[in-house]
Amino acid sequence: MMRSSSRAFWLIMLMVVNCGVHKERQIPEKRIKCVSLVPSVTEIIFAIGAEEMLVGTTNQCDFPPAAKEKTKVGDFQSPDIERIVSLKPDVVFATQPIHQRLIERLAEFKVQVYVSNPADIEGVFAEIESVGVILRRTKEAEMLVAALRRRLDSLPTFAYKPKVYVEISMAPLMSVGQGVFINDIIYRAGGQNIFQHLNIPYPVVDPEAVVQENPDVILLLHPLANKDELKKRVGWSNINAVLSGRIYTGLDEDLFFRPGPRVVDGVILLARILHPERFR
Amino acid sequence: MSSKKRLSWSVIVLLLILSGVLSILTGPGGFSYRVLNQVLLFRLPRFLVGVVAGGVLAVVGGAFQGLLRNPLVDPWTLGVASGAALGAAFAIVTGTGSSVLLPVFAFSGAILAIALVYVLARGRGGLTVIRLVLAGVIVSFFFSSLVMLVMVIFHRSLGEAVYLMMGSLTVVFTRKSLGLFVISAILALAGCGWLMVHNRELDVISLSEETALSLGVDVQRLTRMVFLVGSIAVGLIVAWTGAISFVGLVVPHLVRMLFGPKHSQVLPGSFLLGAGVLLFADVLVRTLTPTGLPLSVVTALVGVPFFIYLLRTKV
Amino acid sequence: MKALTAEGLSFGYGNELIFDGFSLTIESGEFLGIIGPNGSGKSTLLRLLSGTLKPLRGVVNVLGKEIDRLSRKEIAQTIALVPQESFFAFEWTVQEVVLMGRNPYLKLLERPRQEDLNKVAETMKLTGVEMLATKSINSISAGEKQRVLLARALAQEPQILLLDEATSHLDLAHQVALLQILKTLNEQGKTIVLVSHDLNEAALCSRLLLLAQGKPVACDIPAKVLTPDLIRAAYGLEPVVTKHPCTGKPQVLFPSI
Repeated sequence: MMRSSSRAFWLIMLMVVNCGVHKERQIPEKRIKCVSLVPSVTEIIFAIGAEEMLVGTTNQCDFPPAAKEKTKVGDFQSPDIERIVSLKPDVVFATQPIHQRLIERLAEFKVQVYVSNPADIEGVFAEIESVGVILRRTKEAEMLVAALRRRLDSLPTFAYKPKVYVEISMAPLMSVGQGVFINDIIYRAGGQNIFQHLNIPYPVVDPEAVVQENPDVILLLHPLANKDELKKRVGWSNINAVLSGRIYTGLDEDLFFRPGPRVVDGVILLARILHPERFR
Repeated sequence: MSSKKRLSWSVIVLLLILSGVLSILTGPGGFSYRVLNQVLLFRLPRFLVGVVAGGVLAVVGGAFQGLLRNPLVDPWTLGVASGAALGAAFAIVTGTGSSVLLPVFAFSGAILAIALVYVLARGRGGLTVIRLVLAGVIVSFFFSSLVMLVMVIFHRSLGEAVYLMMGSLTVVFTRKSLGLFVISAILALAGCGWLMVHNRELDVISLSEETALSLGVDVQRLTRMVFLVGSIAVGLIVAWTGAISFVGLVVPHLVRMLFGPKHSQVLPGSFLLGAGVLLFADVLVRTLTPTGLPLSVVTALVGVPFFIYLLRTKV
Repeated sequence: MKALTAEGLSFGYGNELIFDGFSLTIESGEFLGIIGPNGSGKSTLLRLLSGTLKPLRGVVNVLGKEIDRLSRKEIAQTIALVPQESFFAFEWTVQEVVLMGRNPYLKLLERPRQEDLNKVAETMKLTGVEMLATKSINSISAGEKQRVLLARALAQEPQILLLDEATSHLDLAHQVALLQILKTLNEQGKTIVLVSHDLNEAALCSRLLLLAQGKPVACDIPAKVLTPDLIRAAYGLEPVVTKHPCTGKPQVLFPSI
């Protein structure tokens, strides 16, 4: 049942992609050149074996390591449009809303743009397939998605879903709310984000609220993360996560915040953290 | 004391008490006897931060307005906040921050800014008010640019630094950092005490430099000391709360409208009213607005119309 | 005893010197007038004498002591300066402004005592501003402000009073009244130094100092200073000098236009 609905989804995405890419101009058969302004898409491109088509990336495109060797067109936040255009790409991969202005300007230069914006893991799979279509690596893309799906399906279903508190900043105290990618990862890994009811992506939260929600697991995803310090926070000592010591730092944030092929790694990693007893 | 003044004092004290009570009663945990113990651990420190921050910012704002002879001055005019932001940004990107180290770094940044302003403002003939203001503006600009530079170099958007520059009363304390905050608060309050003790000299120096000299005030020394004491007191606060806008600008004026410009009343009145106003604004932010609205947005929304009113009537 | 002496004063703003090696002696009980065209340094000299400006070279002595060795409060108890105008950034009442004149006598934490309040009432009565006591300083006329500033200066109980164009905003009646006050104070023994642009007002002084570009052109009794030659040399005008019909003091009339 998942297969056919994913097929339909793929068809719809293909149509969407065809709308996103300029209709009259099919990408000619010659060697395709593309620029990726999105680190997750860069990972996808390498994963489907299309990296020799990649002529430009951003400074933040650092995985796989070979991606660092590619020509840089600037920062993810503010790529240099002139450099992009000078590379004469057939298609540019960008994202919204960060690249909104850039997308409009690229349209003036008549450069085709694919907008990446997967909302969840299904969206990532669809994107892998779309990128595969554009770069004529459909077979590789399908195989990659199939492999990722297999790994995802191999996870057991979890009846008990521990409560998770994700901290992305200490001063001020910031967590993740609705509309952030990591929510889907937490869901698939069999957990619940205690602040997923807040309709802001990165809300500043009251520490009292954290204690009230009483999370079972705490993920510290920022450079000031310190497990021992957190235990000593005034009023936090009776939180389940603190009592059981289930506080995790030093995790690779890219696994949770990059909607690319490694999301499944992220889900599995988190699943092991949340349900250690299922992975003996 | 006239009945009008007596009434004004009563209103100010009442507002402080009301805001304090509201501050302690509001929060995600509600307020029932069962959770009392737990919630007080969060709400009492925040109340303390609010009282000290609101009070100190308003007192220093009032003192600076007198020193600089300008009603449109606030504690941030002389560069302190940008220094603290830089110190905090530095701590965050190098990952050396912790509950204790983060405010220490921020305070160090503030001291650096203060020292820089002081050195820049000294010229032939010593510290003048115009030079202080110019130096403050330049240093603010410079340090703010450095914060942006740090953001670019370390490829982090440093959302935290932006919030740090917008202010919050909700500080995540450990026992150690709470102790450190209490020490900071005591020092900052001592600074306010020093300013209040010198209220008459502040009155005189607010007339003009020449008049103050001819009336027996050591203008150089007083300018230097008020600047240093006030800036350090503010630095001790901003290292914890970030820059909270408009309290230091608006509250002293409200007090002057009620009591007249004598610092013997403006400074203590500003402390009480500043504490009350800030706690109240914080309660509003926490209960009425969507999560994550910085405190400075609320204080600014209220402060800007008042600022415009000041511009039109006082200048 | 000499009230004020200036020895070898050099001073200037920026690179140019206004005063270079300037010296002046003012005796106790003198009523000295300082006149001269704009830019001659009259106001600057007043400030050098009161200690609010520091000379680059030279020494100012007050009642025999070097001004640098005295504390600001000690200076303020001896010399009072009435400026030409004053800007008040905040809404002080007239009484509060005059009360600030008592600052030199109050210690840091001391609040104004009854004797301070009495002195303030006294000086306000003397300069005729006692009715304005509770009014805001920014709501009164320029002339009234001037008299408030004089009251404040007198509240300092100075032995030496320096005035910078004190009558420039006053109408005739108030100008006369103020000069009368000064005359009385002088008779009581106060040393008065009056900078004026009004030559006829200056004629009332016991001695006149005519300044031009920081140099003393003449320093003598008014009759010897207010002469056509000196006035021509300093101002470049050809006035008519006569005698006041009642007092016999020199009167300078407008040149024929």
